[in-house]
Amino acid sequence: MFLLRKYKMIIFVMIILIASLIMIVYNLKYDTGKNFLRKIALETVAPVYGVLSSSIRSVQDAWTRYILLVGIQEENRNLKKKINELKAVLVSYQEGYQEAQRLKKLLAITDHDPYRFVTAKVIGREQAALSRTVLINKGLSDGLKNGMPVIAYPGLIGRLVDVSWHVSRVLLFVDENSNIAAIVQRNRTQGIISGAGSQGMILKYISKTQDVQTGDIIISSGMGGVFPKGWLIGQVINVDRQNAGLFLKIKVAPFVDFAKLEELLILSSEETADK
Amino acid sequence: MIYYIFLLILSVFLIVLQSMITDVIFSSCFIFEMSLVVVIYTGFHLDFIKGTALAFLIGLLMDCVGGSVLGVYAFIYILTFWTSFFVSDLLDTEKTHVVIFYSFFCVLLKNIMLNTFYYMVYNINLFLRTYDIIFTQALVIGLVAPLIFFLMERAGIFLYEN
Repeated sequence: MFLLRKYKMIIFVMIILIASLIMIVYNLKYDTGKNFLRKIALETVAPVYGVLSSSIRSVQDAWTRYILLVGIQEENRNLKKKINELKAVLVSYQEGYQEAQRLKKLLAITDHDPYRFVTAKVIGREQAALSRTVLINKGLSDGLKNGMPVIAYPGLIGRLVDVSWHVSRVLLFVDENSNIAAIVQRNRTQGIISGAGSQGMILKYISKTQDVQTGDIIISSGMGGVFPKGWLIGQVINVDRQNAGLFLKIKVAPFVDFAKLEELLILSSEETADK
Repeated sequence: MIYYIFLLILSVFLIVLQSMITDVIFSSCFIFEMSLVVVIYTGFHLDFIKGTALAFLIGLLMDCVGGSVLGVYAFIYILTFWTSFFVSDLLDTEKTHVVIFYSFFCVLLKNIMLNTFYYMVYNINLFLRTYDIIFTQALVIGLVAPLIFFLMERAGIFLYEN
């Protein structure tokens, strides 16, 4: 007993060492994978492993989701940027397409008529007059002169009033200062088309005895030598026979939407382009 | 007896936590062997019999969970504990750099012993293939050792107070 107490530590050390060595040797020689101690240890560790693993995994998942969200946000931002870029491209294409369509119509005019045309772009509108005059990017240097007729598909829209070197002003038919000799296509009745601002145009000086109906086409008469004959001006939308005056009060709507003018043709002379 | 049961529970948690950290942070590149640092800490602070028991228990659990030859880790951990126990009188174990260098060398030594064992038994020279990993592991564990020491101290104070 005395010896046991005296050499307690040495005995303990020896036991532990021998136990370890025996385990090593035994396992090296007889390990069949069915070690009982290993099974017990694994069974003990497994639940703790499960609990810790699930909590760590949930944190890991949350982090992964966060990273994913950050990634998605970045991707979303890039895609939105891309969409905006593509929208801009699409708008430019649409713009190009529409311009091409308009120019095609203008070209159709120039192809079929024996006149020399100058093509111009609308660069400004007189805001105070509610689009009754427009500015174009051609002037004296392009051979333009005051009074030249201006055309937009499908017919006449006005005449040049102020011609500068590179810019000109077009007085539109809807301007109240505009007057043009016209005829009703159907029965050749002659009158004067005057601008009425936002009301459109009015066909004046047609006697009440004349047969003018809604839907009649009004064309230029060629009188006065400013505008060529036979060009479209507008269409009768209202005929008032009940007024007190001697003449009919005829409202005419232009064929062209003056607020949407972009490209114009200026009839510079009656010579053909081929000549 | 309660102390030994508590040790068992603590050891289980330690091994599992160590496996988790190894898996999550180090992507299983090397084992983040906190258990070895705990053994070193016990070598510096615990009495001989309790410390040996703890080293044996943790080593045995490492063998069982890690799948190595049963008893190898237990044997190495006991040797580490004893070395730490006897060295603690010679070194100033309160100093951080001492802890770092000692832990670094213990990890290296442990790996050398393990590789020597495998070389002797299976004739496999793992050291030449894994020396960079072993060195990195020793470095990381050495650097983290003061933190583990601090946590062990806090845990000891907490347990003592309660």
